[in-house]
Amino acid sequence: MTVRRIEVRERVMARNDELAAQVRARLAARGVTAINLMSSPGAGKTTLLERTLAELGEPLDMAVVAGDVQTQNDADRLAVHTGRLVQAIVTGGACHLDALQVNDALDHIDLDRTRLLIIENVGNLVCPASWDLGERHRVVLFTVTEGEDKPLKYPKMFEKADWVVLTKTDLLPYLPFDVDRAMRYCRQVNPRLQFLQVSAMKGDGMDAWFEFLRRAAAPSAGA
Amino acid sequence: MHELSLAMEIGRLAEAKLGASVSRCVAVGVEVGTDSGVEPSALAFCLEAVLSEPPWTGARAVLTQPEGNQFHLSWLEVEDDDGSED
Repeated sequence: MTVRRIEVRERVMARNDELAAQVRARLAARGVTAINLMSSPGAGKTTLLERTLAELGEPLDMAVVAGDVQTQNDADRLAVHTGRLVQAIVTGGACHLDALQVNDALDHIDLDRTRLLIIENVGNLVCPASWDLGERHRVVLFTVTEGEDKPLKYPKMFEKADWVVLTKTDLLPYLPFDVDRAMRYCRQVNPRLQFLQVSAMKGDGMDAWFEFLRRAAAPSAGA
Repeated sequence: MHELSLAMEIGRLAEAKLGASVSRCVAVGVEVGTDSGVEPSALAFCLEAVLSEPPWTGARAVLTQPEGNQFHLSWLEVEDDDGSED
């Protein structure tokens, strides 16, 4: 018996990246903008989306893909606010969404009647950062009940994002959270990051968030 | 869980490369860059599980950790019956 070595050098993420490219091409062909919404569990993704669907669901022809480890509770919560389609993905234990799941979910969405697709990822600041889903924007929600140093602890998530939305700002008077320090840490990890501050419960800052989405969904945005 | 899906993808890539010789594979070389976001010990644990299930016959996972963000299946070692025992 002899042992023979076969050189391979294949990227482990290659298949996901090919599928993400496929998703991106499918969406581009229909003029759909996709946003990958990520955060730790409990940062307010679903509440932000509830308010967003109520305001922009119809005007921006929104569709939502909501990923959860178990239950489709989030998708059910969101469906109350819109007649637009909310597609649930239950990952069955997996800690992130991948491009294959999103590609399959697109089969259930009328892309010709959609302009803005929001993909609510599984609540997790580690794993979703590694999976390209074919999105145009990566938005990380960062909540004021977390430590300001989250960007330093989870750098890959913030490195790969282009927007950070600080959520639950109505709680700031009750917490020692230092907004300037949090933003400084974000910029330390990724100087290109852009910021929004919102309270989805009270409505503060929501106009700027809606404006960001309107611009993202505008036909010229992908140019 | 993250590392388990990565281990399964490594198994899938390696199987596609090896075809019928998968059962004779004795080692799987993986490069896990220090900035790849992959936890090497968790990946090693998951790879051991994947490589002990058919069609695998207990190939060894050999992980190296170069600087950088690369994450590659780098090589495979297969035992060939060259007739030397005949």
